[in-house]
Amino acid sequence: MKSTRAMRMFVSVLGAASLVATACAPSSTTPPATQAQAETPVAGGRIIEGSFSDIQRLNPATSNDATSSGISGKIYDALVNVDAKTGDPIPWLGKWTVSADGLTYSWTIEPKANWSDGKPIIADDFVTRVKAQLRSKVTPNKSQFDKVEGAKDYQAGKATSISGIKVDASDPKKFTVKFTDAFCPALLSVFGAAPLPTHIFGKYTVDSDITKNVDEAPENNNPPVASGPFKFKEWRKGDQVILSRNESYFLGAPLLDEYVLKVVADSTAASAQLKTGELTVNLIQPSEIADLSKQDSLKIYRWQDPGYTYIGWREQSPTATFFNDKRVRQALAYGINMKDVLQAVFFGEGTQMFSHHAPVSWAAATGLNPYAYDKAKAESLLKDAGYAKGADGFYAKEGKTLGFTIVTNQGNKTRETFLQVAAEQYKQIGVKVNPKLEAFEALVPKLTGGNPEVEAVIIGWQIGAEADSYTLWHSSSIPTPEKGGNNFVFYKNPRIDTLLDTGRGPDCSKETRKKAYQEFNQILNEDQPYNFGISGNRLLATASNIRGIDPGSFSPTGEWNIHKWWIKK
Amino acid sequence: MIRRLLYAIPTLLGISVIVFFLTRLSPGDPIRIYTFGSQTITEDDIRQLRAFYGLDQPLPVQYVTWLLGVVRGDFGMSLQYHQPALGLLLDRLPATLQLASAALILQILIGVPLGVYAALRRGSWVDNAIRVFGVAGHAVPTFWLGLLAIIFFAVTLRVLPSQGLLTVGKDQSDIVDRLRHLILPAFVLALAAIANYSRYLRTETLDVIAQDFIRTAHAKGLRNRTVVYTHALRNALIPVVTALGGLLAVLVSGSLIIEQVFTWPGAGQFTYAAARAKDYPVIMAGVMLASTLLVISYLIRDVLYAVVDPRIKAR
Repeated sequence: MKSTRAMRMFVSVLGAASLVATACAPSSTTPPATQAQAETPVAGGRIIEGSFSDIQRLNPATSNDATSSGISGKIYDALVNVDAKTGDPIPWLGKWTVSADGLTYSWTIEPKANWSDGKPIIADDFVTRVKAQLRSKVTPNKSQFDKVEGAKDYQAGKATSISGIKVDASDPKKFTVKFTDAFCPALLSVFGAAPLPTHIFGKYTVDSDITKNVDEAPENNNPPVASGPFKFKEWRKGDQVILSRNESYFLGAPLLDEYVLKVVADSTAASAQLKTGELTVNLIQPSEIADLSKQDSLKIYRWQDPGYTYIGWREQSPTATFFNDKRVRQALAYGINMKDVLQAVFFGEGTQMFSHHAPVSWAAATGLNPYAYDKAKAESLLKDAGYAKGADGFYAKEGKTLGFTIVTNQGNKTRETFLQVAAEQYKQIGVKVNPKLEAFEALVPKLTGGNPEVEAVIIGWQIGAEADSYTLWHSSSIPTPEKGGNNFVFYKNPRIDTLLDTGRGPDCSKETRKKAYQEFNQILNEDQPYNFGISGNRLLATASNIRGIDPGSFSPTGEWNIHKWWIKK
Repeated sequence: MIRRLLYAIPTLLGISVIVFFLTRLSPGDPIRIYTFGSQTITEDDIRQLRAFYGLDQPLPVQYVTWLLGVVRGDFGMSLQYHQPALGLLLDRLPATLQLASAALILQILIGVPLGVYAALRRGSWVDNAIRVFGVAGHAVPTFWLGLLAIIFFAVTLRVLPSQGLLTVGKDQSDIVDRLRHLILPAFVLALAAIANYSRYLRTETLDVIAQDFIRTAHAKGLRNRTVVYTHALRNALIPVVTALGGLLAVLVSGSLIIEQVFTWPGAGQFTYAAARAKDYPVIMAGVMLASTLLVISYLIRDVLYAVVDPRIKAR
C-alpha cells in the first residue's frame, strides 16, 4: 500500500508541471539503432503499459492528470511538438511563421492530415479546442489562452468569437493567431493544445450562450475520431484502456495493432507483471533496476530527465528565519554529500543538479559551483553567519540551536530516504534536522497556498521542454493565503524577475533567451534557494522484443515515436 | 420488516454527517490538489472552480445541499472525473459484489465443514491443525497474504494472473478468464473469514453436541450423520448467523484492501482512490453505498435467523 501511495504521488507531481508537450534527449544504454538496421519492422501485436491510476477525462480541453493526458495525447496530436532529443519546438500537424513583432503566428496545417474518419483536420478544429476550453467550467487550464487576443472576452461571453484567431477564407487549413503581448512560451503552451474535431465537439460550445459547454459531452470519454497514432477502442473502467491503430495517421499508420493501458496497484505489482509478461512496457523505479535487469525477457532503457528532486528552504518561514541568510543556505549545500545521496537514494541513476535547468536543457548554464562536499567550509559559513558550536555538538546563535524540520510526502520512498540521509548528514555538520512525513494531499495545499508552517521541504518538479520557469521563481509567484503560487520557498530577487521577463519575450530568439536563462541559473546556483538535489534518470523497462524505441530527455514516457515501435515475432 | 427498514434511516443519516464533516475538516484542498502544477492557473480560476462545485459555501450549507441532492438521487459530480459520483460507483459495484459473493461462498463452503469436522474430531491433530489455521488466518494481514499469493502463484508458478479482472486482449464475456482472475483475490479475501467461521462453528458445535437432545437423538438410534447435520448443525448455525453480519462488515472493508492489492476494479478501490484525492462526492457516495449494503446485510441476517430458528418470527 505504501508504494502505491509513493507512485501515485509521483504521478501527481507529473500531472502538475508537465502541462506542455513532450520533448527529449539522448543517452540510452542500448542504442536501438543497431538492431533496427538489421531487422525489418513488421506490423502487428500490442504493447501493454502499466499505470498506477485510471484515466479520468479523455477530453484534453478539460483534463489535467498525467494518465489521462498520456492517453488523450495518443489520440489527439498537436500542431507543434518538441524534438525529443533537444527540446526544440518542431512542426507537427502544422507549420508556423511568426511576425516580426512576435505577436502574430501564422499556421498552415499539414495538407494530408485527416481525422481518422477521413475528414480533413482544419483550422476550425483548433478554434473548437480553444473555445471548448475557454467555456469549460471544470478545466483547470482556463487561463491557458489568456494571452490570445479576445480570448478573455469570449470566455466571459462579451464576444461571440475570438478576435485574435482568424481563419483564412480561402484555405480552411490556414489561420493566424494574434497575441496581446509577445510571449515566447506561447508556441508550446497555446499551440501544444491539440485541435478537437469540430464535427464532433463543435456543437457543444455555443458562441452566444456561455452556459453551454463541452463538460458533459458523451464523446469526451468515447472519442469517435483521432488525429494521433491511435484511435480509442474501449475503456474498461478501473482496469484497461484499449487503443487501436489509426490507419490514416498523417505520419503513416503505426505498426502496433493496439496500445493497452493497464491499471496496476503499485510498483511491486508492476514489477511482477513485467516479469510475467502481463505488462510489456513500464517506467520503473531505480530500486527495481537490479532485479529487473536480470530478466532475459526484459530490456531497460534509461535517459536523463529535466525534472529534479530538491530540498526547498522556505525563506519567509517565521520559525526558521535563518533560511533568509544566504550563508546558511550555502553551508547546507556544502554540508551534504550529494554523491552519497545519488548512490544511496537514486542507486546511481541520476545527475547532480546545481541549478534549475538540467544539463540536458538548452537553457542550462555551465561553470556552476558544484558545492562539492566540504564539512570545514560548511561550518565556517555557519560561523560567518554568527553561529557557534555548543556543547551538544549543534550550532547555535543567541541561545537558539540551528535546527529545523524538513517535510516530505509520505509514501514516496525516494524522498523519504533522501530525507533520512539529509538529516543524518546535517547532524554531522552540527545542524539539527527533524524529519517529518506528511500526506501529499495535505502538504501541497500548505505549500502552494502560502502557509508558512513548513520550514523546509523535499519535493520534486517535472520539467518540460519549455525553459520558462516564471511560475516557480518569479517574485509574483510567491504564494500568499489570498493568492496561491508555486514559488513557495518565497524566493525574491529583482534580477531573477528581470531575467524571467526577458525569457518570456518579446525577443524569442534562442540566443537572447539562452543568455537570460544562463545568468538566471548562475544566480540561483549562487543563492541556493533550493538545494537542487538530483535529477533522477527515467527508466523504462520493456519486453525485449519491442523494437524502435528511441527515447530522449524531452519525452517523459519515451513514447514520442510510438508510431514506429514494432514487435519482433 | 418495514419498521426495521425505517430504523436504518437515522443510522445512515448519522453516518453521512460524521463522514461528511470528517472528510471536509481533514487537511487538504481538492481543487489545489487537482490543479497542482497547472502552469497557467490563476487564483481566480481556483475560486471559480470552488464556487462551481459549491466548496466555497459554509459546511452546514454544503451538507444540506448534498442531502437534498441525495434525496433526489443526485450524489453530485466527481471532482476528478466530472461524471455523476453515484454512476461511477455503480459502474464498479458489480466487480465488488462478484468478489465479495465469491468470498462469501468460499467461506461457507470451506468454513462450515472445517468447523464441524474439528468439533467432531475434537483433540485430534486435525482439530489442532484447524485451530492453528483459525488463529493464523485471523492474525495474518490480508494485504500481506495477497502479496505472498501473487508472488507464489503468479510470479513463481505462473499458474494464475496476478492482477486485474481480465487478461488483456480477452473478451469481456470470457468466463474462464474472469474466473481465473477471481481465484486469488477471492481466496485471500475469504481466508480470514474462513478462519473466523471455522472457529465459531467449532465452538458452537461442541456446545450443541454436549446437550441433552443430541444424546437423545443418539439414543433414538439415529445415524451419526443425521444427528450431526440435522440436529447439531442446525442449532449451531444460529450464533453463526449472528456472526455473519459482522463478517459481512469484514468482507466489505477487506475487499477494499484486496481490491487495492489485486487491482480489482471495484467500488472499494475506487472510493479509496477518491479519498486520497479528496473527491468529496465520490467519498460520500462510496461510504453511503457501503453503509447501505451493510444495513441490507443485517436485514438479510435477521431473515436468516427466522429460517434457521423457527422460534424467531420475521415481522
